[in-house]
Amino acid sequence: MTRRLRRGGLALAAVALVLASAACGSGFNKNSSTTQKAGPANLQVLIASSGQAETDAVKQAAAAFASSTGNTVTVNPAQDIGQQLGQAFAGGNPPDLFYVDASRFADYASIGALYPYGSKVPDANDFYQSLRQTFTFQGQLYCIPKDFSTLALEINTDLWAKAKLTDADIPTTWDQLVTVSKKLKAAGITPLATADTRDRLGAFVVENGGWWANKDDTQATADSPQNLQALQFVQMLLKQGLAVYPKQVDAGWGGEAFGKGKTAMAMEGNWIRGAMTSDYPNIKYEVKPLPAGPAGQGTLSFTQCWGISAKSKFKDQAVKFVEYMTAKAQQLTFAKAFGVMPSRQSAKADYLQQFPDDAAFIDGAQYAQGPLTVAKVDSVLADFDSQLGSLTTNGSPQAILQKLQTNLSAALKG
Amino acid sequence: MSASSVHLRRTPAPPRRELDGSTRARRIATRVTGYAVLVIFALIFIYPFIIQLGNTFKTEPNAAADPLSPIPHPFTDASFLRIFDGTDFPRWMLNSVFITILVTLGRVFFDSLAGYALARLHFRGRKALFAGVIAVMAVPGVVLLIPKFLVLNQLGLYDSYTALILPTIIDAAGIFIMKQSFEMVPHEMEEAARIDGAGIFRTYWSVVLPMVRPAVLTLTILSFQGSWNEFPQTLVAVQSPQYFTLPRGVANLVSGSLGAGTQYPLKLGAALLATIPVAILFMVFQRYFVRGANEGGVKG
Amino acid sequence: MTTTSNDPSGPLGAGGTGTPRQRSAASALELRVPVRRWAGPRGADGPAPRRRPNRIYGRQGIAGWTFVAPAIVILGVFLLLPILMALFVSFTNWSGVGSPFSSSTPLVGASNYTHLFTVDGLAREDFMTSIRNNFYYVLLVVPLQTVLALALALVVNGRLLRGKGFFRTAFYFPSVTSSVAISVVFLFMFSNSGAVNALLNFFGIHGPQWFSDPRGVLQIILGGLGIVDPNNPPAALANSHFLSLSTWDWIAGPSVAMCAIITLVVWTTSGTFMLMFLAGLQNLPIELDEASMLDGATRWQRLRYVTLPQLKPTLFLVITLGLIGTWQVFDQIYVMSQGNPAKTTLTPAFLSYRTAFKDFNYGSGAAISFVLFLIIVLMTLLQRWVMRDRDKPPGGRRWFGRRPTSPPIEEQIPVPALAAAIERSRLP
Repeated sequence: MTRRLRRGGLALAAVALVLASAACGSGFNKNSSTTQKAGPANLQVLIASSGQAETDAVKQAAAAFASSTGNTVTVNPAQDIGQQLGQAFAGGNPPDLFYVDASRFADYASIGALYPYGSKVPDANDFYQSLRQTFTFQGQLYCIPKDFSTLALEINTDLWAKAKLTDADIPTTWDQLVTVSKKLKAAGITPLATADTRDRLGAFVVENGGWWANKDDTQATADSPQNLQALQFVQMLLKQGLAVYPKQVDAGWGGEAFGKGKTAMAMEGNWIRGAMTSDYPNIKYEVKPLPAGPAGQGTLSFTQCWGISAKSKFKDQAVKFVEYMTAKAQQLTFAKAFGVMPSRQSAKADYLQQFPDDAAFIDGAQYAQGPLTVAKVDSVLADFDSQLGSLTTNGSPQAILQKLQTNLSAALKG
Repeated sequence: MSASSVHLRRTPAPPRRELDGSTRARRIATRVTGYAVLVIFALIFIYPFIIQLGNTFKTEPNAAADPLSPIPHPFTDASFLRIFDGTDFPRWMLNSVFITILVTLGRVFFDSLAGYALARLHFRGRKALFAGVIAVMAVPGVVLLIPKFLVLNQLGLYDSYTALILPTIIDAAGIFIMKQSFEMVPHEMEEAARIDGAGIFRTYWSVVLPMVRPAVLTLTILSFQGSWNEFPQTLVAVQSPQYFTLPRGVANLVSGSLGAGTQYPLKLGAALLATIPVAILFMVFQRYFVRGANEGGVKG
Repeated sequence: MTTTSNDPSGPLGAGGTGTPRQRSAASALELRVPVRRWAGPRGADGPAPRRRPNRIYGRQGIAGWTFVAPAIVILGVFLLLPILMALFVSFTNWSGVGSPFSSSTPLVGASNYTHLFTVDGLAREDFMTSIRNNFYYVLLVVPLQTVLALALALVVNGRLLRGKGFFRTAFYFPSVTSSVAISVVFLFMFSNSGAVNALLNFFGIHGPQWFSDPRGVLQIILGGLGIVDPNNPPAALANSHFLSLSTWDWIAGPSVAMCAIITLVVWTTSGTFMLMFLAGLQNLPIELDEASMLDGATRWQRLRYVTLPQLKPTLFLVITLGLIGTWQVFDQIYVMSQGNPAKTTLTPAFLSYRTAFKDFNYGSGAAISFVLFLIIVLMTLLQRWVMRDRDKPPGGRRWFGRRPTSPPIEEQIPVPALAAAIERSRLP
């Protein structure tokens, strides 16, 4: 540009700098800790809802808490909770409470965004040890697991009958899965809905004795032969039309594909219960354990905790809220509403009594694999997920795993 | 310049020689084909809106089974009930109206003020300032996302109405449009006003500004439309749902806050309601839109 | 465009290189011309004000600065200052906690930039993927929207056409609607059981699963022609790598999902550009067209040798606007695909946003922004260079206004600067 343009730019920049230095003083609340406010609080709660059922249930519980304690609570379902929280942390005004997924927990804890309140909850030991371990960072229990879930196999009994299949056909091994899927396909029914994410396909990997990293998450093992075999098996299912990703049948997730009767089987967690009850009440289905692979039974477990923001002005009230939401009776209510399993050991007996059909989910806890919980691996795993979509077309399982191995090794090191 | 007046300026078609029958028939055939192609193109441009309208009143299975048909079968207004009952749509609507009005007023006032100074007042640094305005216009908006977030954050404005309004209340392009139109106004008017003893602001406000009314209207409409449709700015300025505007809210609906299900009728309905104000504005003030786009080509 | 309206060249003679006067008009693009049109005989810098006594000059000085003060403050604080701040952040590893300007923020030098270009890893791979995607997007969108807009303008401009107003409205309306709202409509139309596939079905074609199909169009074509097996690309393509992507990936072309977005964008922007072409067409001298018609030139010849050469300035403007706008695609990606499937709709703008706000990597996100900025500036310079080259008087160097006498400021305005502004306010 011309000299003149540059001079104009400089002049404006100078003015801007002067203004900025004047304004800066009023800006960031640098290192001072947030002042706490006692009394009735206005709690903002951000949730990553699995569906309308969960949103409604959480809102209802929050309203009950609010009216019994005199606080106000606003529950907002997030569009993309990771993105929204990230921006909120940087903006310095995150919601008081929010779901923290196990896979992002280490990220949030490591940047100091979470308020570690585990020690303030009197009966924290009632929560499953493995779940507490997941939410422990540098020896401190940061947050209380709100519930947990595992994957199982859902079977649409009507479609099953339509393909002239019986209970004896319910697959318990990979071979049987292939056989029964072929029968379904021959009857014009799409057999299985899974999803193009590690959170479903990982189960096949576990069933084949593999995993992305070693036991203490220090070394990547993504390129192991077990992993490769598992993904090759998945690709075979997809390419032969024995399994589909939900998008292929115009569904947002496996539960929707299953609920709309587009597939005879789905591979979802216990959250599918809530969606089926509220959105697809007419579908009859059974829940069975995932078919065992060459290495035996396997499934994945998921958990989230109630994170409290380190910047919240109402930390005490927020802890009370968590206690209310994770009380035994409340957990059983949630279990009923949207199909999660109570994270309290003391609620297990009641749960099994109320939901005998969910034995497959609860039993899965014995052989389930939890997520990787290391900081800064999310983008690596997201990249992995983005590759998995290509398994339906020209994706090479070997190349995908090799890439995961490279990226994961780099992330675990640094 | 209103495009609708253009064909009037044209001289009539050139004198025709006498045509024999077959040539005339061919001409007619050509014209019919021409019109057919044109109508097909018009359909391509309009039909998506018709589909949108039709599917809004469909049930979800009907929308999935028969997406092309504009006629709902069965007809249902369930999606509208859910839009107003199950989402924060009314809140987004109010936010959008509030923000759009403030931003539009601000842009029209401040842009024309600055445009007037740059066009008509003589002061040291004027040319440098104008060069600055031009330089600012050259910055592509989308690379400003992170920068804007940083400054709003640093100033403690993040997540507030101020963050949505203040950064967009003046835009360089508007200043440019106004400067160019003020330059068209004859100097005599101003001089007469000054001789009558009017101050500079007075001269600007009650003498010169009324003379550029078409430009002001164009700027008003462009600002309204721009502000109503603004999306990326809301992504980096606010995070709490209470500040969501229509585009942000609708974007939120699309990727998941509804939870499970595609629920296209509902999403299409929300998008439709968000489109209607601009559509009405477009129908009423079409020639100013056209003028805006043509000036757009040169922006002033 | 009065400078060319009385051009005496013959009907066909105006083609090819164009007369000197035309070329100079092209050099200033629309800018100089309309400014003159608007300013009329008495421009802002007419002689009268310069002879004003100093007293008034002083009073006007105070008023002038007061009038522009709000603009300076707002544009300074929300445009220039943030750019400087982001430039600083791009040299740090700020994770989003505390102030980026406090001493606790780690400074990392240029590493955020080198990780995009010279260090093999996920960051570079994502960035290069986004560049590839956007490149193919530009390659398709710019020619398509330009040709479509020109064709629509030529037809709508037809003298004998009835219902002009209706057609113009129909073609232009998509341009004024919200990018988010229109993305929702297209998301529905391109869903697997949506309108587009229903229409294809009508013609017996089984449509693809648009937004879950990451296959590159060129890969599909190569596969379809039997040259390469897409499921098993030859080692020469799959194993040779350049900047973290294999040759096979580089030549993938836009993915099927990206094609849906390309369709949307071409559909929405053509209307705006059609109006620009219309404005250009309406300024063309009708006599020329008529003369050539009487000379017996065919419709195509008239278009090729009479109309197009005179439309060159508009054509350049439209292409420049297109080049700048297409590198900024963001809204549609955010609403429709979020970069999926398999990152084939990831663009630098969206990647920069995601890196910062989702991965807490603000430094890297800002760095991507600045590289994108640079790309757009390069597009601008390229356009300027093309224009200058055509306009270069023999022996003289005219580059960045390095001329003995400075031209009026309006002539120095880089057209793309305006273009960018218009982009922001007009295009979805």
